[in-house]
Amino acid sequence: MKQDLTLTVNGVSYTRAVEPRVNLGDFLRHDLGLTGTHFGCEHGICGACTVLVDGATLRSCLMFAVQAQGCEITTVEGLSDAQAPLHPIQQAFRDQHALQCGFCTPGMLLTVVELLDENPDPSEAEVRDAISGNICRCTGYQPIVDAALQAARTLKGGTR
Amino acid sequence: MAMADLDIHEPGDLAEAFCLLRAPDGAARPMGGGTALMLMMKAQLFKPSALVSLAKVDPRFHGVELSADGASFSIGAMTTFAELEHHADLCARLPVIAQTMVTLANPRVRNVATIGGNLAHADPHLDLPPVWASLDAEVSVIGPQGERRFPVIELFAGYYETTLQPGELIMRLHAPVQQGWRRRYVKVTTRSAHDWPAIGIAIGLKMQGARCEDLRLILSAATDRPTRLVAAEAVVRGQAITDDLLAAAGKAAASEVHIETDSRGSSDYKAHLLSVHLKRALHDLCE
Repeated sequence: MKQDLTLTVNGVSYTRAVEPRVNLGDFLRHDLGLTGTHFGCEHGICGACTVLVDGATLRSCLMFAVQAQGCEITTVEGLSDAQAPLHPIQQAFRDQHALQCGFCTPGMLLTVVELLDENPDPSEAEVRDAISGNICRCTGYQPIVDAALQAARTLKGGTR
Repeated sequence: MAMADLDIHEPGDLAEAFCLLRAPDGAARPMGGGTALMLMMKAQLFKPSALVSLAKVDPRFHGVELSADGASFSIGAMTTFAELEHHADLCARLPVIAQTMVTLANPRVRNVATIGGNLAHADPHLDLPPVWASLDAEVSVIGPQGERRFPVIELFAGYYETTLQPGELIMRLHAPVQQGWRRRYVKVTTRSAHDWPAIGIAIGLKMQGARCEDLRLILSAATDRPTRLVAAEAVVRGQAITDDLLAAAGKAAASEVHIETDSRGSSDYKAHLLSVHLKRALHDLCE
């Protein structure tokens, strides 16, 4: 039986009737058309589906949409407007060539958002630990680590 | 990947939760963070007809409190790992918890997984249950028949099995803060750094000069449930710590339990890991 779900995604409030078995990622992609959130493994290993729920990262493939009742979600679409400059973390990924195929990138970006919120000046080891739950098969990770460190410098400098 | 149809309830009180959990088909299950549960459902190992979220059943399932005399923490079952990890008072008094958290999954999982769900899941590879056991922690559980409290190590009955009675829910965990104990959780992985452990050893050690006054040794992952290494403890308790003594403790540990073979190592290999890592960790803690 469908349940009513009201939540905020990237600052916009939505109310939809959803089946309880639908996970948050499928809800974002199929019900709201926000396909920036990617599904790789669908069992919590790859990190591609990472989104922010009330500011904290979690795996949208392993959370039921109805559990997000009243929550504020941020997906990759919420990091910057289409016509606006990129978010500093996105810009750093671009500058450092931290993506090739781009499939892991939305999850990587949101993971780095949480990291830099909690720890504005991370060491390389702390960056590597933070992204340990996100798999990238293209870059070898080094450019992603470099991008996170660049973004930290940019954000600290206040040149958003 | 769609899952089978099911209902998700979020009852606002315990009576309603107990009622929902008594579903006629016997396939209603309580849910904490849902991390482990959803994995089992996606693997089609588990097909509940209804999930009963414990998020709003009772305020006693939430909050981290230090007793007035500072002797113990009381932790609500719905407390997430991240909440504990960022709890300054708890990390200062029980640093082994923060030390264990960083070995455990990643922030994205720790933001969701709950203390109570982690215990109720009773997967012997989990990292926190042996640590709670080494702290002599106790659980309070509540069910339709009332409330009871017992040592956390008595919760585990085997792979994914607990001693909880039908309808009973883990409500709080009580972790003593004992002065003068040195503690460590040793996670030994054999395939990659972020794998599940081949063995886990939670250690508490109280020294009096060069002599061991008391200790707790809890083995996990190699056994079907967190298991106290009684024989190895007896080798060390009351003795002056020497390399020979620690080697004897390692041998005693490896021979007193039935160690399971799995994809992370054979029984013999894990027994060897146990004897080496136990000796090494006790040696480090004595210094």
